[in-house]
Amino acid sequence: MIISKKVEFSAAHICRSEQLSDEENERIYGAAANPLGHGHNYVVEVAVEGEPDPVTGMILDLKRLKDLLEEKVLEVYDHRLLNREVPPFDHVVPTVENIAIDIWNRVDPLLTGRARLHSIKVLETNELSVEYRGGK
Amino acid sequence: MIRLSKRYRFFASHRLHSEALTEEENQRTFGKCNNPHGHGHNYEVEITVAGDVDPVTGRVVDIRALDGIAEKTILKPLAYRNLNQEVAAFQKIVPTTENLGVELYSRLRSSWAGTFGTDGPRLEMVRIWETDRNICEITNRNE
Repeated sequence: MIISKKVEFSAAHICRSEQLSDEENERIYGAAANPLGHGHNYVVEVAVEGEPDPVTGMILDLKRLKDLLEEKVLEVYDHRLLNREVPPFDHVVPTVENIAIDIWNRVDPLLTGRARLHSIKVLETNELSVEYRGGK
Repeated sequence: MIRLSKRYRFFASHRLHSEALTEEENQRTFGKCNNPHGHGHNYEVEITVAGDVDPVTGRVVDIRALDGIAEKTILKPLAYRNLNQEVAAFQKIVPTTENLGVELYSRLRSSWAGTFGTDGPRLEMVRIWETDRNICEITNRNE
């Protein structure tokens, strides 16, 4: 069974790689390559997989998951310029793909017991989203 | 592997009517969607792509190329069209959400390798919303 929790944060980012020329950055990221940055209201859906505990009827304590997301993701990401303030985005481009992978890496080691992380879905806008289920 | 989804919208009209059915059967099967003058929807299409994130760009797919293929194969030919009368696929089959989804998937599929090559990101799924409450999903497992 899969249960998911939705949280939101707002942050600024610059989609630009130092390994690429200005021209290539422009071509790949378009307006998102603006070196002064821009921002989004991100929505994150964290899906957890497991069987409900026969006594509590819960896969995991959702309050614990909420606190954990608050501490390990939102406090780190919310109202930040990702490129300057949130590693690894000092050297990794903060595309929505890499944001989902980074959130997975922050949350996955913290889930213990009967629940395991199933997927991280990140919506950068209503039109653009990614889903990451770990691994390669 | 990561999945990226991008959503697009277009407006079009259609009529649900099959030549293989009687007037009465058409009425019973399609209800008010069988209105002979047709009607329209704000369609939304979500294209889901799967692949690995490029270590330099941080992208799984060139989003501009994805926008380009969506524009060329779906938005330009279908927006503001009467699907029954102006889109060849629907001369013979009924433009239900299901058939429209399959048509959009196959349009993307035929242009995919030309845009992304054979080692690039894979077309994984097309979802189409006819309204907020009527959604159809076609995945590459159906191939």
